[in-house]
Amino acid sequence: MSVKYVPVQWNRNKWIYDAVMLAGVALFLWIFVELAPGLLSHERPINAPIHNGRAFGACAFVMLTVILCIGPLARLDQRFLPLLYNRRHFGVMTVFVAITHASFIIDWYFNFSPTNKYVAVLSANTDFGQALGFPFEIFGVFALIVLMILSATSHDFWMKFLTPPVWKRLHYLIYPAYAAVVAHVALGVLLDAQNVTFLWIVLIGSLAVATLHLLAAFSETRGSDTRAEGTDWVRICDAHDITEGFAKIARLPGGDRVAVFRQDGLLSAISNACAHQNGPLGEGKVIDCLVTCPWHGFQYDVRNGRSPAPFTEKIPTYDIRLHGSSVMVNPVANPPGTPVDPVPVPQEVLA
Amino acid sequence: MSGAETILLLVRWWLIIGAMISVAFLFIGIDRIDEDARGAYIFRPLLVPAILLIWPLVLWRWYVLEAGREIWSKHYRPPRASHLVAAILMAAGIGTALFLGLSNRQTWPADIAPERLSAPGEANE
Repeated sequence: MSVKYVPVQWNRNKWIYDAVMLAGVALFLWIFVELAPGLLSHERPINAPIHNGRAFGACAFVMLTVILCIGPLARLDQRFLPLLYNRRHFGVMTVFVAITHASFIIDWYFNFSPTNKYVAVLSANTDFGQALGFPFEIFGVFALIVLMILSATSHDFWMKFLTPPVWKRLHYLIYPAYAAVVAHVALGVLLDAQNVTFLWIVLIGSLAVATLHLLAAFSETRGSDTRAEGTDWVRICDAHDITEGFAKIARLPGGDRVAVFRQDGLLSAISNACAHQNGPLGEGKVIDCLVTCPWHGFQYDVRNGRSPAPFTEKIPTYDIRLHGSSVMVNPVANPPGTPVDPVPVPQEVLA
Repeated sequence: MSGAETILLLVRWWLIIGAMISVAFLFIGIDRIDEDARGAYIFRPLLVPAILLIWPLVLWRWYVLEAGREIWSKHYRPPRASHLVAAILMAAGIGTALFLGLSNRQTWPADIAPERLSAPGEANE
């Protein structure tokens, strides 16, 4: 959460996360290079640059695959949320691994000629009209540029400056980038029919990513939230439908989502979108009037939409009232941080 | 000049313009549009790579914030509906790539003698 920007907001959990991640990368490279070169079709005499290039390339593919599995897994099962917490460090590390892969490849396959090596990457093969012999390097170039953009814009400043929806749309580039990575691999190293182990790694990994994202996206459209109708005050649900300490999420006519919380028999309504990355606040739990975003731990007072001091994040609030047992919300949001008196729920309504 | 050289020249100019904008933004603009950045300097070099890459977006956001044209309600409208479209397109792309790759797998002709395709370069003569 922000007060003044710092390069990296370290804490103990992030240190542990990063240590495990770095150990995983080192273990993968050690297994690839030293322990099992035969498994990955390296029994033939190849030199160190090619070997290292393949090792870092395979590592980047596996890292990107894991990263892309974390998001939908956390949407489908909240037990995976801790993996989401520090995913940006995972992404930044993946970019460095991918750049190392590119460096080994360019410095070996496109070097040693009068032609500039970067010109050679773009001009050595221009047979775009065929699958066999397609210049698959171009997919890798595209994916690497996207990964660099996503990594470079991962600091919290960019989320605030670009706004979470713009930032999120920019980071949707990861989807064509991953498809490009699969194409880079499928039309590159996978064309070697003797390479069986990596074939299975790519098949299982890429199909897992595609399946998990489709499942998560379809579950989002089914959703547990309610669609509220009308342009005047809209009915969200019955008051007794809201579990104590939790929220009911509803989509308002204008497209925004509201989260109606109940704590100590009092109802409050705030935007469902966290100011950080638009995480689903309505899936968080309220303790002492503060709801914690399940994605990255940002907190807001449900009575005024403000983060506790000294933090400065604010989200919109909504006017709320009870009509019998029905919870009604004014679909016109109050400006971020506007206090709204909580509405008490009579005991007979909760009974 | 070849197509590849033209692309690299454009990339070079893109980065040069980005470098100039990053100097202006990090020394002047950022303090004017973000109160959390005032007095915070150590993190600013981390922003340079992004400005080099997406400087048109930076200029647009800088203008919107400076001109007071920001619409706060848009901050809380996540583009979730786009996820389904993105997931379907990604899955289609993955499926197509795997199909093309798997249907063209080759066994390396290790037993074929190498064939010279062009005359040796000057260094080998």
